[in-house]
Amino acid sequence: MSNQLPASLPGTRPGKLLLAIPSKGRLMEETVAALSRAGLTLRTSGNERGYRREFAGEDDIDVLFVSASEIARQLKAGRVHLGVTGEDLIREEILNADERVDMALKLGFGHADVVVAVPQSWLDVASMANLQEMARTFHRRHGRRLRVATKYLHLTRTFFRENGVTDYLSVESLGATEGTPASGTADMIVDITSTGSTLRANGLKILSDGVILKSEANLVASRAAPRNATISAVETRVLAQLRNAIPVKG
Amino acid sequence: MSAETARDFEALERQAALIMSVLIGAGCEAVAPAIIQPADVFLDVIGEDLRARTYMFTDPEGEELCLRPDLTVPTCRLYLQRHPAADVARRYCYNGSVFRFQPVGAGAARPNEFRQAGFELLGETDAEAAETEALVLVIKALDASGRFDYRMRMGDLGLFQALLADLEMPERGRQRLRAQFWRPEAFRAALARLTAASPGSLIGLPTDLIASLDTADAATAETIVSEFMLRKGIDLIGARSVSEIAAGLLAAVEDSRAEPIPQATARHIEGYLRIAGPAPVAAEALNRAIGSAGPRSAKAVAAFARRLTLLAAAGIDTNALTFAAEFGRTLEYYTGFVFDIVSPKLGDRTPIAGGGRYDKLLRSVGAVRDVPAVGSAIHTERLLSVVNGGAS
Repeated sequence: MSNQLPASLPGTRPGKLLLAIPSKGRLMEETVAALSRAGLTLRTSGNERGYRREFAGEDDIDVLFVSASEIARQLKAGRVHLGVTGEDLIREEILNADERVDMALKLGFGHADVVVAVPQSWLDVASMANLQEMARTFHRRHGRRLRVATKYLHLTRTFFRENGVTDYLSVESLGATEGTPASGTADMIVDITSTGSTLRANGLKILSDGVILKSEANLVASRAAPRNATISAVETRVLAQLRNAIPVKG
Repeated sequence: MSAETARDFEALERQAALIMSVLIGAGCEAVAPAIIQPADVFLDVIGEDLRARTYMFTDPEGEELCLRPDLTVPTCRLYLQRHPAADVARRYCYNGSVFRFQPVGAGAARPNEFRQAGFELLGETDAEAAETEALVLVIKALDASGRFDYRMRMGDLGLFQALLADLEMPERGRQRLRAQFWRPEAFRAALARLTAASPGSLIGLPTDLIASLDTADAATAETIVSEFMLRKGIDLIGARSVSEIAAGLLAAVEDSRAEPIPQATARHIEGYLRIAGPAPVAAEALNRAIGSAGPRSAKAVAAFARRLTLLAAAGIDTNALTFAAEFGRTLEYYTGFVFDIVSPKLGDRTPIAGGGRYDKLLRSVGAVRDVPAVGSAIHTERLLSVVNGGAS
């Protein structure tokens, strides 16, 4: 393997630690706040070339704002050293995640569960075992497989297989997944939820053993990204600073 | 796939020509089915493992298509195009590329694009004779390509189906075990639930509703469920009707009352699944274990013995043929005899050839009747690497 950084991303400088953080929404705000508590404050002005940003008084780190799922792919490919993103996206985008990345630090925000949810009107389906039974009957009765809308195709496939549910078809859904059973595009869903209120508002319920993953934001290190001694030292320091800044629970 | 060298390409072509001449000599017609296939056909018939490894795409008109992950299904579709009544016996052979996503990264041992040479015998009515011919033919094709060490392994999924049909148990239990057979973990769990005194089929379901359904018939149940939904302000969402949901609840109530299947029955099934060994020894063990379980099992055991006799008569050393009841448990479309050929060089997890009986496949890709079918495919790149002494 080469010691050179791969074809560098726009606006990044060779030899710097590359840190990718979410580019929008609450996840971005909480990430920026957590970094700031750790003494890594984004400079509001300065070099604005491309979408690279820097921390004040910190010349060894290039910060990239990227969408959360793209961060998972960049970590997999080794295009960045560190990234902040949800565990759900890491497990979904990277098949053998534990070999490709290191879930270095749980950050204590961005809590959400990836869950299996079905219409509340399915009074006969409360668990994955019920679903297994129902899916077979459904296939016979309707002449088609049960359709499961999700953006988590991989997590769904693995979890359903472990639970013996095979008579289904996943339908990729890239937004407003919770509305697909009511609109008829799908029969049920696998989606992310933090309080479950959006699911309830859409007439859905979570199966009793249908929590696939309890996710939160993580600082994730790529195993594929090439590092020299300087980068590794900066990485260790950033990790320590962040770890010390996380409020201790309880 | 990494670019192949001209020498590899020529060696593969030469080898394929040898294999094809053996197959054509056995009366197979050479065919070249389409590489691009409709995705839904494959999704419905191949097991979930292969489904997860199939390259799918949408064409500019929105049609869901896939690159064929095997050649058996395309060959069956070709047979149906030519013979829509599915009422003639035909034998086909082929040599071509198949495409499979490799979850942990493609490599030399597991390329995502590779070639298969093989054949399908469709509509042959003497099952054991056709199975014998299939194994003999694949061995002959391998021998034509060069000498190498190999072992033959076999299973017979018909034995399990027969045993299950003969054992005393509620029909729903039977359906559940049949559906889970392909996933040993889930199968064990299903078997444990069926033998448990309280199967837990009502856990989590609305208690008051269940109580009011206690003695209801289907029509009453539907009314009760409708009223329950109205009272609780639950909207009916999606394709499942109230009567369907009521039927599901009634089935759960029925399950909760079903007598657990005896431990002895579960042990019988588990005992069968443990049988393994050289085929002639296994035949005796099978006869002892399930030969008297009922008429279907007796018939399946007799078919097993007859197949061994035919194989021996055709010159196969049956003592070198290893049987395992578990063998074939991951290949969802097979229905009876299954086999593969492995070499010490590539190991047991990388078979050089494999095949078996798949009597339900033609109907599920559109035939108006079941067509008895048996076939086999050779992984030609693997074969080349073992006959070359692994030098490729």
